[in-house]
Amino acid sequence: MIKLFLIAARNLKRSWFRTIFTIAGAAVALIAFIMLRTVLWSWNAVSEYAAQDRLATRHKVTMIMPLPKRYAEDIRAVPGVKQVAFMNWFGAKIPTAPDEFFASLAVESNTFFDVWDEMVVSPEDKARWLADKKGAIVGHVLAKKMGWKVGDKIVLEGTIYPGDWEFNISGIYKASRKSVDDSEFIFHWDYLNDSAPAEMKDQIGFISIRVTDTSRSAEIAQAIDRMFDERDVQTATMSERAMNLSFMAGFSALLTALDVVSIIILGIMLLILGNTIAMGVRERTKEYAVLRAIGFEPWHVRFFVIAEAAALGILSGAVGVGIAYPFVNHFVGRAIEENMGAMFPYFRVEPTTAALAFVIALGLAAVASLLPSIQAGRVSVTDALRRVG
Amino acid sequence: MVPIKYNVRNLVVRKRTTAAAAFGLALVVFVFACALMLGEGITKTLGRSASHDVVVVMRKGSDTEMVSSIEDKHVNLVLAHAEQVGASKKPVGVGEVLVVIHLDKLGTSGVSNVTVRGVPEDALAFRPTVKIVEGRAPNPGSDEVIVGRAIKGRFKGLQIGETFELKKNRPMKVVGVFSDEGSSYESEVWADVHAVRQAFGRPGSVSSVRVRLDSPSKFDAFKALVEGDRQLGLLAMRETDYVEKQSEATAIMLKILGGIIAFFFAIGAMIGATITMNAQVAGRTREIGTLRALGFSKTSILFSFLLESLVLALAGGAFGAIAAIAMKAVKITMINMNTWSEIVFGFEPTPEIIVSALVLSAVMGLFGGFLPAVRAARVSPVEAMRG
Repeated sequence: MIKLFLIAARNLKRSWFRTIFTIAGAAVALIAFIMLRTVLWSWNAVSEYAAQDRLATRHKVTMIMPLPKRYAEDIRAVPGVKQVAFMNWFGAKIPTAPDEFFASLAVESNTFFDVWDEMVVSPEDKARWLADKKGAIVGHVLAKKMGWKVGDKIVLEGTIYPGDWEFNISGIYKASRKSVDDSEFIFHWDYLNDSAPAEMKDQIGFISIRVTDTSRSAEIAQAIDRMFDERDVQTATMSERAMNLSFMAGFSALLTALDVVSIIILGIMLLILGNTIAMGVRERTKEYAVLRAIGFEPWHVRFFVIAEAAALGILSGAVGVGIAYPFVNHFVGRAIEENMGAMFPYFRVEPTTAALAFVIALGLAAVASLLPSIQAGRVSVTDALRRVG
Repeated sequence: MVPIKYNVRNLVVRKRTTAAAAFGLALVVFVFACALMLGEGITKTLGRSASHDVVVVMRKGSDTEMVSSIEDKHVNLVLAHAEQVGASKKPVGVGEVLVVIHLDKLGTSGVSNVTVRGVPEDALAFRPTVKIVEGRAPNPGSDEVIVGRAIKGRFKGLQIGETFELKKNRPMKVVGVFSDEGSSYESEVWADVHAVRQAFGRPGSVSSVRVRLDSPSKFDAFKALVEGDRQLGLLAMRETDYVEKQSEATAIMLKILGGIIAFFFAIGAMIGATITMNAQVAGRTREIGTLRALGFSKTSILFSFLLESLVLALAGGAFGAIAAIAMKAVKITMINMNTWSEIVFGFEPTPEIIVSALVLSAVMGLFGGFLPAVRAARVSPVEAMRG
């Protein structure tokens, strides 16, 4: 059987031009497929890898309205709550690079890095930060991109809190989880509050909550919302995962489109493979007749066609995955993580995606060879040989 | 020259191979055109909300109306500045509050952001293109709202007669649906400015002021007056520029994404075309030999096969472009990345997009057909006819 397979595969050598072009075409389609799947995968990863034991509380009606600061203290008293950290979206702009987008948060200094323990900061950096009112901890990707080093003094422009704000870079953090953005800018809420205009004082944007027992998350979330139901500002509390999912719902049309496109590209791949295989079969009708005449069974002929196609699929898969894997992980992925970290904090080809692509290449080749193989198996010996010219 | 008829007939005779190759090319053109049309769609939808003679005034440093805030007493100053420069149409301007609220989506699970615009009584007079198409206009000063045609029924509570809450125990009742020639306003909910201010605890200020000047040329003078007044701390922008900025990020993302996908698709389809044309050449060696023997030069054979590939590609391209134009009927909802709220927009075909899609297919045809055409031109008449 193996021997027959190798003989069939050797047929690919007969038309180098066609074989190489077919493999190239199928490989390109496969690379596009892998990239599309990776976009979809990493988009989902943000919610997939979100912390299970973390809840977020926000204003019930809108994201642009703040909560009273005392709400954080009230939540701290709820049974089952381990740690609480409140924060405000600051909306910073770099005066010299106004188009650079990154998340900037004014956070509760003492607890933030306990609640967000996947943002890893060295003890020295953290101590330096806590001692400096204007201190900031910056994601390593953002720091590298802007050339910021510990000790630098920088000025940012506030879009929500007007004016110029001075900061000292106290430290760098690195995310230990795939769902966390490595380009955030974290600073002290007290600094923001002391300098904010009177009507914006003592207000917080949202509250992150770590619970002691993940299985009780839903219950705790309800308890929190019930507590504030009769107050002047109502809240909505949900797991981080639910929050991310609802955020992504806004892009669902785009995600569906990408999904469809990734299927279409497989269709194109099928067309390329099918065309090549069908051409090969058409040209070799005479040979199949000879094979049959010297005693090979129809299944042998069918096997030859399918085996040749499978060899083509394996080669295409190997080339496609072989190029896509390093290409995405070393070039595209890095560029995307640096420039679009807020949306794609982790953009790498997963081994499962690569394996799936390889299997698909093989599968499509087999499907594409199905009709031609049946056709080849049906070759009538007399008819085909009569045409010998 | 070899007559074109020869090539066209050849394509028709080899129906199945031609169809397979053309279909691949059509898919590429379709995807390419769709991506461009979506990018164009969001730009146009937002663009329709802008007039040349309208100026948006916001707080300095604000990128969107949402984060801007202007005190009431400054609103009157801005309006006075506009009248000084030349703004004779009434109303001269409107001070509006822009907020986003979370509403449950219908059809799919999840919550999304909806823009609520708190408008004064004369907002409809200020924007003459806005028309009530269903129900009635809200009573001034009440908790009645009207919703844009595009967003109606996409969220819970946004049908005529239904209510949603801006604040606990403060239901807002939908009494009408408005249209605005397909602009992004159709993705908004319009409520009374006072009701929104009260619910969102921001009395005494608005998000932005829009003024209508007598002519777009008066913009510079108005800008100088408004921005020259340092006490105000405001900035003035043409509405067209403002709106373009609001759609920029999403439009660029859609176009880049579409471009990358189309690039890979194009390579795939080009290779498909090469394989097909190459097989055509291989199968027609004897024919080509005959043509050469009849006296057709190498160049005319080369051009003939390039032409055949071009015809094949254009046929596929035209098919793809027609399918893309048919997408005009489809509307999609997406978050606009600049405002973080939902906007409904569609595929907008423009002549430029259709032309560039056809050019793309022609380029794919020429590149894909080049190698096989060279091969055809190299056929030796003697050998071909002997074999």
